[in-house]
Amino acid sequence: MGSETGTLEHEAAQRANGRHLDRSGVRVELVECERRFGDVAALDRFSLTIEPGELVALLGPSGCGKTTALRALAGLEQTDAGVVRIGGLDVTGLPPNRRELGMVFQAYSLFPNMTALDNVGFGLRLRKRDAPTRRRRARELLDLVGLAAQAGRFPHELSGGQQQRVALARALAVEPRVLLLDEPLSALDAKVRAQLRDEIRRIQLEMGITTLFVTHDQEEALSMADRVGVMASGRLQQLGPPDEVYERPVNAFVAEFVGSVSRVPATVGAGSTVEVLGGRIPLPDSQAAFAPGRRVDVLLRPESLAVRADPRGLGLVVRRSFLGPVMHVVVALPGKIEVLATLPSSSASEVVVGSAVSVEATGTPLFVTEPRELDA
Amino acid sequence: MAALSAPRVATARAHPAAEFRLGPVARTGVLVVAALYFLVPLLASARYALEGAHGSYTLSSVTALFHDSVLLQSLVTSVEISLGAAAITLALLMPTSVWVNLRMPRWRRAMESITLLPLVVPVVVVVLGIYGAFPTGIVASPVLLALEYVVLAMPYSYRAIDGGVQALDLHTLVDASRSLGAGWAQVFRRVLVPNLRSSLLSAAFITVAYSLGEFAMANLLSFTTFPTELFQIGTEQVGEATAVSVFALVLTFGVLLALSLFGGHGRRRAVRAGLPAGQADGVVAELAAEVDAVLGHADPGRPGIVHDGPTMR
Repeated sequence: MGSETGTLEHEAAQRANGRHLDRSGVRVELVECERRFGDVAALDRFSLTIEPGELVALLGPSGCGKTTALRALAGLEQTDAGVVRIGGLDVTGLPPNRRELGMVFQAYSLFPNMTALDNVGFGLRLRKRDAPTRRRRARELLDLVGLAAQAGRFPHELSGGQQQRVALARALAVEPRVLLLDEPLSALDAKVRAQLRDEIRRIQLEMGITTLFVTHDQEEALSMADRVGVMASGRLQQLGPPDEVYERPVNAFVAEFVGSVSRVPATVGAGSTVEVLGGRIPLPDSQAAFAPGRRVDVLLRPESLAVRADPRGLGLVVRRSFLGPVMHVVVALPGKIEVLATLPSSSASEVVVGSAVSVEATGTPLFVTEPRELDA
Repeated sequence: MAALSAPRVATARAHPAAEFRLGPVARTGVLVVAALYFLVPLLASARYALEGAHGSYTLSSVTALFHDSVLLQSLVTSVEISLGAAAITLALLMPTSVWVNLRMPRWRRAMESITLLPLVVPVVVVVLGIYGAFPTGIVASPVLLALEYVVLAMPYSYRAIDGGVQALDLHTLVDASRSLGAGWAQVFRRVLVPNLRSSLLSAAFITVAYSLGEFAMANLLSFTTFPTELFQIGTEQVGEATAVSVFALVLTFGVLLALSLFGGHGRRRAVRAGLPAGQADGVVAELAAEVDAVLGHADPGRPGIVHDGPTMR
């Protein structure tokens, strides 16, 4: 058990000495979990292991089951089948209040009748800590999230970002074995979201707490997580480090969901190559087995497409977005194909909306998949 | 944004207001007429109650009330029954509303209909049902009357509680407290009850007010409660009955005043809790009207027109 009266400084000192707190860094396992809502499988033989102290982000579109997975781990949702283990203990049948978790919600979840300090001390009060201990710990946590000066304020007197900071402090105050973050940043504006994202990651690393973070925002997932799990239809499609998920997707869904891609019809050529946009590029190593002559779709990252102003080119620039150092350009090609390319802003002066351009695929496609019939 | 949205809001509000706006003279006139309509009978009753022989004024009718042990005992009985009814209402309806909103949201409409049933079932039918369903010993106990008042006041009390429950982000608050280690009892005690305080007080006041004024059920079941005793006095001593009438009105005013004071407190809490102030105001105004309607149905000064409020609606 972690020291009941231990301060954050004490915890940090313990870590510096190479000793890990008992409460931080437990392994979390969801094994073959199933949950159905009528005909819809929110979790379909879903398995996930989170290593001690690791932050795993579950990423996926609405309704993919990521929140159900988190709630199943929290005990807020009962599974129809499967096992949930925290620190090696089977907690499948345990109610949420006995799982020793901390959770931050998407909606503002502070208790409206309590000050920030009382909110943070709430879990400790339930654990019958005496008032001075409660207050000291709550102040430490508020200090950790940069809100010591707002301790006496009620939730409605705090901004959205501050409320979520207090919610994070409240979740951490009980020294949880696992931290669960259910889209905690989605209600915040972009700037606050970026700040809080960094802050959550900093605190998570400092405390070494095993964390499951659910989000539909891939930027959040890729920037914060040790590993990213991409979900669809209640199943984990891929679980791996952010760069691996981004660069080596295991299927077309992951490729199209994570990052931006353009889907372009192509034909497999000889020697593990693929003919696309009038050029020839190598097939990805993992997909070299495609038979020559087969019609496929290739998924190309914007940075794998070269766009040049060309009066005789077949492409037509339909949109441009200036993003500082780079420019996003959407080009319409014959066959109702639209591709997205990234150009250095400095070299995009001639690529204006309505101008003719040539488009060329460079490098290796992200993924090669079965062709999808285009709408007539 | 504000500049863009402001004209739209202004237009939306200006249109109906322009149609129904009265001039200051007309408004004052309506106010005076309404005040006269309500105040003249009250003042006349008060004067009649205080009038002695040869145009003098005396408190003898009023002081007589406090020497009437049967009346005082009936008042104590009514207060006990009404407090019991309020306690049962809170203990029963709050968890029900929370559970329905939390776990059975599809039943919300059904619950609304079920809680309205006491308005459409005549009291005499309920009484006959009670006689058929319960043994004589239970029917003779005032506890039964309290249970009945819980049911009869339910159309108002359930709405007061349910409105408060629906105004909370119930799922998130419950999930948050559960994840922090709270069992269900602690969720209710530490989170839900404090945040529903205003709604719970409103429901309790409505039930108390209803129970204090209810006549038909108590009379049909042969209980001696405050309203039935007032009725009895009214048939025998008109002067005393009028004094009781005024006293009951003052009592009513006191209840309403307390309600508005608590409501004001609730409003501050609502603002603190981030709820729109109008919501809390609306509840208070609605409840004030309900209490007025409920208490108004047992006018002791005019025993011939004692009605059961809900069945008249």
